Amino acid sequence: MADILALVFRHNNAQPRDLKNLSFASGPDRNTLPCMIVGERCGIKTSLLFLTAVTAAAELGVRVLFLTPSPIQSLSGPLKDSLANLDPDGLKKIKFMYPRSQEELLQDVASLHECVRGPAGPPSLLIVDGLEHYLGAGGRGPTAARGEDQSAAAHVAALLADTAAFLTQKLEERGEACAPCRVIVSFDVEWQGHTPPGDPSAQDPLLSVLDRYFSVRCTLDRDRNPAAPAPAAAGEPGDVWQIYFSGVGIADGHTSAQEDGSVLGQQWRLAIRPNGAMEFSPVSAESLASM
Amino acid sequence: MTSYLPAVAEELLRDIRKVYQETTQIPDDLLLALKFVFGPSALQALDLVDQRSVTCLSSPSGRKVFQFLLYAQVIGGSGHLYTCYASCHYCPCPAFAFSVLRRNDSLLCKHILAAYLCQAMGLSQHETVTDQQMSDILSGKAGRGT
Repeated sequence: MADILALVFRHNNAQPRDLKNLSFASGPDRNTLPCMIVGERCGIKTSLLFLTAVTAAAELGVRVLFLTPSPIQSLSGPLKDSLANLDPDGLKKIKFMYPRSQEELLQDVASLHECVRGPAGPPSLLIVDGLEHYLGAGGRGPTAARGEDQSAAAHVAALLADTAAFLTQKLEERGEACAPCRVIVSFDVEWQGHTPPGDPSAQDPLLSVLDRYFSVRCTLDRDRNPAAPAPAAAGEPGDVWQIYFSGVGIADGHTSAQEDGSVLGQQWRLAIRPNGAMEFSPVSAESLASM
Repeated sequence: MTSYLPAVAEELLRDIRKVYQETTQIPDDLLLALKFVFGPSALQALDLVDQRSVTCLSSPSGRKVFQFLLYAQVIGGSGHLYTCYASCHYCPCPAFAFSVLRRNDSLLCKHILAAYLCQAMGLSQHETVTDQQMSDILSGKAGRGT
């Protein structure tokens, strides 16, 4: 599913873009493995997921199911701009569901197979915002997750992956171009107000379980530049993030990936502009080497 | 489930399928390989297969077949009913939670392996449920550890 995220990044690139070229990659470079967006606790992941849903629905004609614990109360600047320029019919392809608990989330996802025979057809993009909310991970510490929590996390993740596999089969039977069904979730990695150093999986038992099922990880690291005169608050104008993909679906070496245009190994920089717009720009191999 | 198993395990299951279709038996060398690859789970899984403990459920929506397995409900040794998914590894049994998820020293539990073996050997029991029942089973609302 990293391909759709990379497509959203390109669509909201700082460089001039050609909207007519917005389409999924094809061939072996297309990465459709389940993807998990991880990062510290703030609204930037929700904004990114919503932008992904809007872009997929309006620009690609993809039916989207957006699962989130609570309704999105307000839209950030770039989303307002995007919505103003989009075909309203495209937005009808997004269906929002608000499961409040793990049981409700499981029931909502488990019942998706019942809609495959309907006229609308099944969704081809499943988005779960705030997965930690459903896994009881809100107040967890490094050793807090017990066996039951890990098993529950595995259940939710496996059901999402299994449902996507089934819906993919149905989409392919219908000959729909938007197959396969993709899954993207977001998950907070933060304890006591700070992101742990090193690999979060080594310290978070839930994350290590989720990594089994979400083969691609999209990590959002806030760029805390000590030279900046006044660091911006998370998600506010002036805020800068580094985004990079990792996981079993990612090949080693970003250089070749950048050259062939695939999502593999690409790294991005996300800047919140003064008007609130989210602006993405690819990080070149030279920039990475100098970091 | 191909992508979730190492190549050696996939090859072994393919061999078992081929040989069992021809002879309706699993020869000693493949049994030893099974024990070598999957450890103690192999014998327990074969016991489940012998007991015809695996049932493949399907519903009218078609949620039943994804390459290898149907939704397999395996009757656990303690009398619990466990549901394993068709396209990825998950089982609500304690062994999966401890050995696979927590300690990461097993590929899978005996229930998932039994489901693989039953599929390879064509020994699953088949049942049809309604779409609503399938949803309840998938979500764990029904047929899970009860």
